[in-house]
Amino acid sequence: MRCHDIHKSFGTGEAKVDVLRGIDFTAAMGGMTFLVGPSGCGKTTLISVIAGLLEATSGRVELFGTEVAALSSRDRILFRRKNLGFVFQQYNLLPSLSAAENAAVPLLAAGMPRKAALDKASQVLDRLGLGSRTKALPKILSGGQQQRVALARALVHEPRLVICDEPTAALDAESGHSVMELLSRTAVHPDRAVIVVSHDNRVFHFADRLAYMNDGSITKTEMQTAWSA
Amino acid sequence: MIRLALDMLRADRAKFFAMILAVALSVFLMQNQAAILSSIMTMTGSQIRDVPAAGLWVMEPDTECFDQAKPVRDTALYRVRGTDGVDWAVPLLKVDAFARSENGKLTLAVILGVDDSSLVGLPPRVILGDAAAIRERDTCLIDPGGYSLLFPKEPYVLGKRIRVADTFLRIVGISDASPPFTGFPIIHATRSTAIPLNRGEGRNQTFILGQLKPGADAAAVCTSIESTTGLKARTAAQFTVDSQNFYASQGVPMLFYIVIGIGLVVGAAITGQTFLMFVKENERHLSLMKVVGVTTPQMAGMLFCQAGLVVALGSCFGTGLATLTTSLSRTQPFLRGIYIPTYVAIATCTALAVVTAAAVLLALRNVQKLEPASVFRG
Repeated sequence: MRCHDIHKSFGTGEAKVDVLRGIDFTAAMGGMTFLVGPSGCGKTTLISVIAGLLEATSGRVELFGTEVAALSSRDRILFRRKNLGFVFQQYNLLPSLSAAENAAVPLLAAGMPRKAALDKASQVLDRLGLGSRTKALPKILSGGQQQRVALARALVHEPRLVICDEPTAALDAESGHSVMELLSRTAVHPDRAVIVVSHDNRVFHFADRLAYMNDGSITKTEMQTAWSA
Repeated sequence: MIRLALDMLRADRAKFFAMILAVALSVFLMQNQAAILSSIMTMTGSQIRDVPAAGLWVMEPDTECFDQAKPVRDTALYRVRGTDGVDWAVPLLKVDAFARSENGKLTLAVILGVDDSSLVGLPPRVILGDAAAIRERDTCLIDPGGYSLLFPKEPYVLGKRIRVADTFLRIVGISDASPPFTGFPIIHATRSTAIPLNRGEGRNQTFILGQLKPGADAAAVCTSIESTTGLKARTAAQFTVDSQNFYASQGVPMLFYIVIGIGLVVGAAITGQTFLMFVKENERHLSLMKVVGVTTPQMAGMLFCQAGLVVALGSCFGTGLATLTTSLSRTQPFLRGIYIPTYVAIATCTALAVVTAAAVLLALRNVQKLEPASVFRG
């Protein structure tokens, strides 16, 4: 995953705000890259651009050899469906669906038969320690359990890039640590890159690489060995 | 995805039932009013359809419908019979007069005096008694609505008498005459019985009923009758339409059209508004779906399935309710002609489906505008 000289502005004229100012960023396969920085520094905007949810004002995002911005709207959705998984701060589970159904949404969207999709989602939930809660609705699950369902949804279709936006922000320290452990154990894969946006320094030690953002720019990057020493 | 869509819909039970209720009430209102309108307009031709043997109806040129007919000169019958293409022709006398039962009930009634020998002009069936018994002097058949009006809550009993003008008529049968538009009792007697009851212009036939010879051209025969007699000649089908058109021109349907329109507008407003609110409140979830790879056509399919379920259930409940009320109405003798024609049921449900589909398209437009990146906001 490569970003080259990404600029993103909102508004025009005097109201114009430059949120991203020439970002160069890469995320390597087989590891977790953390994007860290204060609120409002542009982290979420950057991952939205990487995921093809926002179009950059200028610059280029290349995911696995494909320039996402060059794809049509429909192809971008299909590309995302196949290659990307998402974990959100607020879980974003569908309240009327069971844990297994929530986790199976990407598979169902891809046209997999319902039973096969639910079976596969249940297997992933089982791996994440929720094998006994596959039929539970989100409202009866704890925050940590809901985030694990969201993690299952992000991984069920075996994407090549997983983007996590503040996955521990809504959780207490213990649950957050537990979710990050699961994330590092299940999401990290030689054929997959994981980008985690966070400002929770309690979980930074899970990162293989840290990219510090401030005011729309990446100010420095560090490999794990550098900052954990 | 369809199942997920339906699960999402059912999860918000309050809105789900509100939408079903809106569709059901709208369908009920439209079907009920459309059924009444359709039924009463059908009733304007009841007495014409009740004489299937008569393919031709000859009348005064000023006559516009069955209920407002002027009498015809007695000599006209022979001229009609003498017209090429006419197989046979018989007189029918229609007398509007007050009828009074032995227990004092009084009502305006329509007395139809049919040809004494052929009895052409009688309805095809009798519920009780023998139609041919009216050949006996001062006897009659009466329809169920008329009987219940003159003898409320009494079982059908033959032999009861009603007084019309100064004549007592003995009831010898209960006819299955179709309910008339006017709601008055329909009394059938022979013409010779009916003539003394006629206080009209001294003319003793209101219509001349006839039939074409096999192979005769109806239009040509009607033209021929009109030119030789100076009267108006119509086929039964034409006269039925004339009668309907006459009442339609009197503004009767307009009130029903207004109520039907209100039903559609209310149904459209409530269903559309509730559905749009439902979509609005689910924007975050729909955005999420876009993010995880649900395409716009899939999203459209989901919304249409949700709307389809609402319309299907609402239409079923609405149609059921309309059928129930119509069935209950039909237990009243004068309302026995009220029914829901199939086309009314189909048309009302289709109208609601179209309106809901429009709401879905509107909602879909909003969904397309959704900013998927909004799911990252806390």
